[in-house]
Amino acid sequence: MPQISPCPGHAGGLAFSFLTRRSSCLLSLLLASHLVGWGQAKVAPPSAPARTTRPTPAAAAGRTTVQYAKGFRLDYVGNYKVISVQSSFEPQTKAVRYLLVPRGAARPAGYPDAQVIETPLRSLVGLSSMHVALADFLGASDLVVGVGSFKYVSAARVRQRIAAGQVYEVGQGKELNNELLVAHHPDLVMTTGWPGEGVDHFQTLRAAGVPVLINSEWVETTPLARAEWVKVLAALLNKEAVVNQKFDVVAREYQRLAALGRGAAKKPSVVVGLPFKDVWYVPDTDSYMAQFLRDAGATYHWDRTKAPSGSLALSFEAVAPVALGADYWLQTGTLATKAALLAQDARYAAFAPVKTGRVFNNNLRTNAQGSNDYWESGAMHPDLILADLLHILHPELLPNWTLRYYRPLR
Amino acid sequence: MSPAYPAPGPPSASAPVEARRPRLATGLLLLTLLVLVAFVLDVALGPVRIPVLTVARHLLGFGDVADTATAFIVHQIRLPKALTALAVGSGLAVSGLQMQTLFRNPLAGPSALGLTAGAGLGVALVMLTSGSIASASAVRQLGLGGSWLLVLAATAGAALVMALVLALAARVRDNVVLLIVGLMVASVTGAIVSLWQYFSAPEQIQEYLLWTFGALGGVTGPHLAVLATVVGLGLGLALASAKPLNALLLGENYARSLGLRVRRSRTLIILSTSLLAGSITAFCGPIGFVGIAVPHLTRALLGTADHRLLLPGACLLGAALVLACDCLAQLPGSQITLPINVVTSLLGAPVVLWVVLRRPVRSAA
Repeated sequence: MPQISPCPGHAGGLAFSFLTRRSSCLLSLLLASHLVGWGQAKVAPPSAPARTTRPTPAAAAGRTTVQYAKGFRLDYVGNYKVISVQSSFEPQTKAVRYLLVPRGAARPAGYPDAQVIETPLRSLVGLSSMHVALADFLGASDLVVGVGSFKYVSAARVRQRIAAGQVYEVGQGKELNNELLVAHHPDLVMTTGWPGEGVDHFQTLRAAGVPVLINSEWVETTPLARAEWVKVLAALLNKEAVVNQKFDVVAREYQRLAALGRGAAKKPSVVVGLPFKDVWYVPDTDSYMAQFLRDAGATYHWDRTKAPSGSLALSFEAVAPVALGADYWLQTGTLATKAALLAQDARYAAFAPVKTGRVFNNNLRTNAQGSNDYWESGAMHPDLILADLLHILHPELLPNWTLRYYRPLR
Repeated sequence: MSPAYPAPGPPSASAPVEARRPRLATGLLLLTLLVLVAFVLDVALGPVRIPVLTVARHLLGFGDVADTATAFIVHQIRLPKALTALAVGSGLAVSGLQMQTLFRNPLAGPSALGLTAGAGLGVALVMLTSGSIASASAVRQLGLGGSWLLVLAATAGAALVMALVLALAARVRDNVVLLIVGLMVASVTGAIVSLWQYFSAPEQIQEYLLWTFGALGGVTGPHLAVLATVVGLGLGLALASAKPLNALLLGENYARSLGLRVRRSRTLIILSTSLLAGSITAFCGPIGFVGIAVPHLTRALLGTADHRLLLPGACLLGAALVLACDCLAQLPGSQITLPINVVTSLLGAPVVLWVVLRRPVRSAA
C-alpha cells in the first residue's frame, strides 16, 4: 500500500487526515487494548517526584486539572509543571515528558529524558490549524509567529498577521523548513503526533535547542477531550485562570446540550461521510464523531462497532441500505451542493436524505483558500457543533439557533 | 532481440491446430462456463447477505418492489459491478496479450506503453491541482464535475501518451525502443504525479490514492455504457488483428515477408490496446497484473499460440479471473471490501514469478 500522507503533522485536522493519521497507527492499535485507559496505565516512572511537593504560591493561584482528555496529564511540581503525553491506545509506549520551567530557572533534577520548555511562551509555531485555534481560544493569537501552512488558517486575527507579514510558513512532516525555524528560534513548535511515532522529524530542531511538543488531540474519543488539550497550551502560557473559566463555559454548555439531545424522544437515523466508489469510511464507536451523534440524540448504525483505526472502511454495499432509509446524511466531504453530490455518483439520488433535502455538510465556514474552520475553531467549540447538530436533528429543541459550521446541501 | 519465448510453427499451418481442435474447443467452452459461474457468484455474493433466489428474482424482474434496499443492491451495486468486472477482465487481458506479442516480451502489459501512467497523470491533474492550475478549475467552471471530469482527464492523459507513442512508432522501427519510450513516459508522469502529491493537501492525496487502489464499483448508468462501448470497440479491433499478431510472433522481418503491412498492423494493435487500457484505467483506476498474467495462463491452458483462439481465450479467462477476484475482494461474511488492485496483484504476482522462473528451464532445453 502506498504511504498515505505523512501521517501526523498535517495541518488542518481535515476529516480524513484524522482517519489516515489514525490508520497509520493501525498495527499498534491492534496490539493495544482500548480497555486499558491511560488513566489506569502506569505512567509515572519511579523518578517522578511525589505530587505532595509544596507548591509555590504562584502555581497554586493558577492551576488547572484535566477532566476529559486521556492523552496527556499535567502535574504541578514545585515551581515547575510536568506535561506527560501518553499514547492512550498503546499504554506500553513510554510517555513523552515536558518540563515547563519559569524562564531563567534551573532545570529540575530527575527527568533525564524530558524536554525543557521555558514559560510563559513568548512565541509559538503551530504546525496544524488546530494549534492556531488553541492560541486563539486563549486570546493569545499574537504569539503565533509561524504556522505549518498559511492555507489552513481561518482565525481572523492570525490571518491579519499573515497579511501583515508577521507570520512565517514552515511546512510539515518531511517538508518542515528546519532552517527557517532554527533562524527564528521560536519558544515552542507544536506538532501533531503521538509518543510511539517511528520517525522523528524533529532531531534537527531539538539539537538547535528549539523545543517541540507533540499534540495528540486527534486520538481522543470525545469532543470535550479533544478540546481540553487547550489546557496544555494554557499551562505553557501560565493562563490557567483563563482556561479554567473559558473551557468551563464550553464544557457546561456542551453538557447542557448533550442532556437535551440524549433526552430527545425521537432519535433520527444518521449516515456520515462520503463514499468513494467501493469504499465508505464511517466513524467507529471510539471516534469523537460517534460521541457527537450520541450526544445529539441520533441513531447511528455503527455506534457500537469498533474499528482498529478509528474509522471503519466499509463496502459501499454495506452502507447503502442504511443510507437508503436514513433520516439525515452528514459530512459529505468537501462538497457544497446537491448537484456536486449527484455528479460524483448518480446513485446517491436514491438515498432518502437526498430526496428529502436533509443532507448537511460541515463546511459552512470554508474561507477563500478552501480551509474549513470546522477543523480549526470547531475543535475548540464542541458546544457550537453540538448545537448545530441538535438544531439539524431536533429543530424543536433549538428552534432559534443559527447554524455555525453546518449547511444544508442545496 | 532474442525471442522472448519460442516461436511456434507457422500458425497458418493447420495440421497441429486441427489435431488439437477438440481440446481447444473444450477449453473455450470450459472458460465460458467459468465466466458464467463467476458472474453469478459475483452478483450473488456481497457484504449484505441476500439469498441467491432473491437475487435471481430481482435480476429477472420479479423481485419484491417493496424491498428497495435489495433492489438497490442488486441493480445499482452488484450488477453494474459484475458487468464492469467483465469489461475490465476481458479488456485488460486482451490488451496484455497484444502487447506481449507486439513487443515479443513476456513481461509487457497494458502499462508498458505508459498508457496507465498517462491516465494517472490526467486523474492527478484533476484531483491534486484543483485550484492551483487554471485549466483544471476552468473545466470545473463549465459545470463538468465529479466522475465525468475524472474519466475525461484520464482518457485525455492516456490518449496523449498514445498519440506520442503512435507518432514515435511511425519513426522508430524497433519495438524494444518503443517499449523503452513507454517506460520513460511512465517514469516522467510518475515523477510529475509525485511532485503534485508532495505539495497537495492530505484530502486530495487521499482521493488520488483511493483512485490508485482501483475500484470496480461506482461505474453505473451512462458511465457503464461508455465503458462497455469503448471496450467492445477495442476488443473488436483486437480480434481483427489476430492474423497480424500471429505473423508478428515470427518476427517483424518474417511477418513482412509474409506480406504483412507491419506499420499498419502495429498502429491497429496500439490503437486497440490504448482504447482498452485507457478507458478501463479511466473508469476503474490502474488494475494490476491482469494484463500480464492472463495471457500466460491462457497460453498454458489452451496450449496454442494462435491468436484467433488466444484472443477469445484471454478475453474469457480475464473476465473470469477479475470476477473471481471481485468475489474474494468482498471478503464473504465481512462488511469490508478490499481494493481490487490488492487482490489482482496478490494473485497476479505469483503468476509472473512462475513465468520468470520457468524461462531458464525452457532455454536450457
